[in-house]
Amino acid sequence: MIGQLLKGLRTTFGYIFTQPVTVQYPEVKRPVRERFRGRHELKRFADGKERCIGCSLCAAACPADAILVVPAENTPDHQVSYGERYAATYEINMLRCIFCGYCEDACPTNAIVLEHQYELSFYDRRDSIYTKEMLLVPEDQGHGDAPPILSQLERRPSPPAQIDL
Amino acid sequence: MADVTITVNGVTFRVPAGTNVVDAARIGGISIPVFCYHPRMKPVGMCRMCLVQVGTPRLDPATRQPMLGEDGRPVIAMMPKLQTGCTTPVSEGMVINTESDEVQFAQKGVLEFLLTSHPLDCPVCDKGGECPLQNLTMAWGPGNSRFDYNDKVHFEKPVHLGDLILLDRERCILCSRCVRFQDELADDPVLGFDNRGRNWMIISKSDPPFDSKFSGNTTDICPVGALTSADFRFKARVWELSSKPVVCTLCPVGCNLSLDMRYDQLMRVMPRENGAVNDIWICDKGRFGHRFIEHESRLTTPLIRKGGHLVEASWDEALALVAEKLAAVQSSRGGSAIAGLASPRLSNEDLYLFQKLFREYFGSHNLDHTLGSAADVDYDEHGALMGVGKGTNLMEMGAGSLVLVIGADPEEEAPLYVLRLRAMLERGAKLVVANMRPTKLERSATTRLYYQPGSELAFVRGLLRAVFDRVGHERLHLKHSGLEQLRKTLSDLSVEQAAELCGVPAETIRAVAQALLEAKQGLIMYGAEARSAGPGMSESLAVLAALTGKVGKPGSGLIALLPGGNSRGALDMGVRPDARAGYAVLSQRGLGAREVWPALREGRVKAVWIAGLDPAAQLPAARAALEAADFVVVQELFLTETAKLADVVLPAASVAEREGTYTNAELRVQRSRQARQAHGEARPDWQIIQGVAQHLSELSVPVAVPTQRVEESSQPVGGKGKSKGPGKTTAVTVAEPSTWDYLTPSEIAAEIAERVPGYAGITYSALAATGQGGDWGRQTNEAIFYDGTNYENSEGIGIQLPNLIEGQKTAVSLGLRPLSKPAHERSLLLVSQSLAYDGDLLLRGSLLERQIPQPYVALSQTDADKLNIKPGDTVRLDSAAGELTLSARVVDDVPAGVALIPSNLPNFSAAAVQTGPRTRVNLVKVVTG
Repeated sequence: MIGQLLKGLRTTFGYIFTQPVTVQYPEVKRPVRERFRGRHELKRFADGKERCIGCSLCAAACPADAILVVPAENTPDHQVSYGERYAATYEINMLRCIFCGYCEDACPTNAIVLEHQYELSFYDRRDSIYTKEMLLVPEDQGHGDAPPILSQLERRPSPPAQIDL
Repeated sequence: MADVTITVNGVTFRVPAGTNVVDAARIGGISIPVFCYHPRMKPVGMCRMCLVQVGTPRLDPATRQPMLGEDGRPVIAMMPKLQTGCTTPVSEGMVINTESDEVQFAQKGVLEFLLTSHPLDCPVCDKGGECPLQNLTMAWGPGNSRFDYNDKVHFEKPVHLGDLILLDRERCILCSRCVRFQDELADDPVLGFDNRGRNWMIISKSDPPFDSKFSGNTTDICPVGALTSADFRFKARVWELSSKPVVCTLCPVGCNLSLDMRYDQLMRVMPRENGAVNDIWICDKGRFGHRFIEHESRLTTPLIRKGGHLVEASWDEALALVAEKLAAVQSSRGGSAIAGLASPRLSNEDLYLFQKLFREYFGSHNLDHTLGSAADVDYDEHGALMGVGKGTNLMEMGAGSLVLVIGADPEEEAPLYVLRLRAMLERGAKLVVANMRPTKLERSATTRLYYQPGSELAFVRGLLRAVFDRVGHERLHLKHSGLEQLRKTLSDLSVEQAAELCGVPAETIRAVAQALLEAKQGLIMYGAEARSAGPGMSESLAVLAALTGKVGKPGSGLIALLPGGNSRGALDMGVRPDARAGYAVLSQRGLGAREVWPALREGRVKAVWIAGLDPAAQLPAARAALEAADFVVVQELFLTETAKLADVVLPAASVAEREGTYTNAELRVQRSRQARQAHGEARPDWQIIQGVAQHLSELSVPVAVPTQRVEESSQPVGGKGKSKGPGKTTAVTVAEPSTWDYLTPSEIAAEIAERVPGYAGITYSALAATGQGGDWGRQTNEAIFYDGTNYENSEGIGIQLPNLIEGQKTAVSLGLRPLSKPAHERSLLLVSQSLAYDGDLLLRGSLLERQIPQPYVALSQTDADKLNIKPGDTVRLDSAAGELTLSARVVDDVPAGVALIPSNLPNFSAAAVQTGPRTRVNLVKVVTG
């Protein structure tokens, strides 16, 4: 009987002297994998223009109907993104989101990316709605140049746009 | 036409001869992709997308018979090159191949070429998701392009074609659907092509740009995202929208609309296909004029006047106060001291309950649906009594039918009739337009006539005489009275005399009469300008229809263009002082709106309830009367001028927030559904009326005994004042006093069906019928023509009422009023012109507001020269009633002797000078400084 007891305790004692797997969260943060899907970020181009063009394809792809996009038109004085359209409202309901990443797949401009932030707790259900201001990266953290399909919209018309009648 | 047998992709079937290959293949369930072809327009073969292989049987040159091959079947001679399906009519024995390698190669090539110039900005394009170019590229196009993206052509964009429509030249594939729509269907040839080659583009040729009442339809039929509406630009993606079926209440056509909502917000308005009403089109007023629904100035809570200010209150409080005050007036002064005015944009259910409350509870007949201005014309009965026969469908009418449009400007009063009448012309119908001034419709007319201003009645009498001379009364198959008198009246005025009076040659009058007699089907359409000639006008037109036998059968009858979306319903429901629902004349009439205002000032009427009308804005007399009134209830969408004078303001639900039925000019009852949640605390009008009734019964107000019911006569109103006719007095069964516990409008509709003559069988379930299967909505391949452009009608196409004459229960009175000689004490005849874009409250918040003109008076060049007036001068009009100062316009299309002023403009009222529907005025130039 003693023998059996010792046999069992051997496993226990064996573990006492190994490194514990527990991470002392929140003092210590567990690193995530490169392709981890955490909180969304709305990216910018290197020149600070928003990548999002307000096309709502992310909302269309979303299986949980977590995204709301209300588009608006860019004006010369208020050029938020390349092209004619930008997202005036961009909201994600984090209670609904299942972090599947379909929005990222659907995005034609790589504007929405599921990043590594995973601390998404709130006291109020209303706080679960992340607005565009919360999702958008700061202006100086843009990267990459606009692809020709977007930047060419700024190009001067190739034939004269107005011909005298 | 006879059928022919064709073989498409090896399947043999029969199609009508003359059909083009695209339509023929569609009959057999085979899709041929198209961009430029549209079934409502002539084919042009511009886009080359419908290229197919076509072959016909080889004929023996000697016998002209098909040569037979060794297998006994005809030898097919294939055409050496591919043919465009839309421009190739089928012929007997034709063989068509739509799937061969050669065809597929061509289709891929066409799409690849189209896409070389296309910006591929689908993610931001408003058409994305319902775009035929997207769909056809997915189905028929190449997987990728060999074209270098950096070589794409770039244009400045967007280009404003007009206020409402924007053009993206990069997306345009130059199919010319928009140009052809404007040229062929709308007859507003304002679009055109400019330049050539890579610079080939659509331009607007008019000033102001894109000057058309139908411009929005071009965005529907555009097969790419080149034309987008300023109203919907970048508002939402189409897949986010849910389509809610409603009926347009902005004019008497009653177009079927789809309100496209995202959650609870209106994103855009689209047509819903209904061949009997609007086909697949709507006018710009319907498309852009529904922004009032979400306007920030909408009322959200009931308001009660406390200490001179309107303060917010609860519904209970407001309704109790209304009931209490009205009950107090009734008990002290009797029911006749209460008056009610209801707008002709309310639904039948609202109007029915409104008059029921007044008649049953208050015993008051002081009801009306007009403003009570001097310019109001008499109630139009003949449009219902002799209205178009049940089964009339303008879409099915063509050769053999004639439309007489008299004193109407459909483009302004009921725009969609322009498209409908033009489509009839295309099918071979005749159109006679008679007016005092040129209108846009007359450009399409087979015969156009101008009568002297003020002589329209003489013109119609001339027509009547010409008809009577030719056929007498042999075509008169209606129960009638007063034939002798008619004979006498007509013998007083020969066609030549009438011709002299109205300035239309006698031969022309005879020719029109002859054409009307020869036509198998005849419609007579009359509008505001004809009605302003006096009640004798509709009466004479009714007799004209009766004498020519154009009554009581499908495709024949009168169409009255009345103001508002549901004037016909208001008349049917009896919201008028002199008749009950179903045109049953009362022996003791109440006060109409025109008499209510003086009565209020004199204290004969103490309380007034106004639902959806704004008399204070238009009539100084009404404003004074409302200020003098003891108690005013206003039930409205907005805090109007009238509402500001009210003691209680009740917020009403708009057409989008409630269900209801509406009756259009062709007597078609259509059901509109709820599209969004109530705006604030606003309630549907019927609920408000019911709420007051319930509070009244709590106050245990005895229901007024309907004593007058026994005195009612079944004589139609048309006979009043003239022949006694079969003036038999019939007792109407007195219905049980109702308990006022309707849960839904369908219960009210059921009661209407029971009690209002003509409405039998019009229940909500019956209204949901969509006609024969397959005729409505998308069929095989139709998605390619219509993709994203309109919605199928799955919620009911409405039911046409029988006209009251059809039942033969009422007799038509043929007695006509004598022709009065107008007095000419002043030089000009002041005529009000209805405009589509006027001061209607419902246009609030829409893009059309910019197109509402400033007040003006339009004069002919002749008169302007005579009076030394130049365009822009300030002129003073004076009449027997008073004076008015306006800025003058000198225009070509006003005849001499007429001063034309637009009616119902915001912040403008012509009431100061108006003495009646038409006023004689003098005009003086005001010299300032």
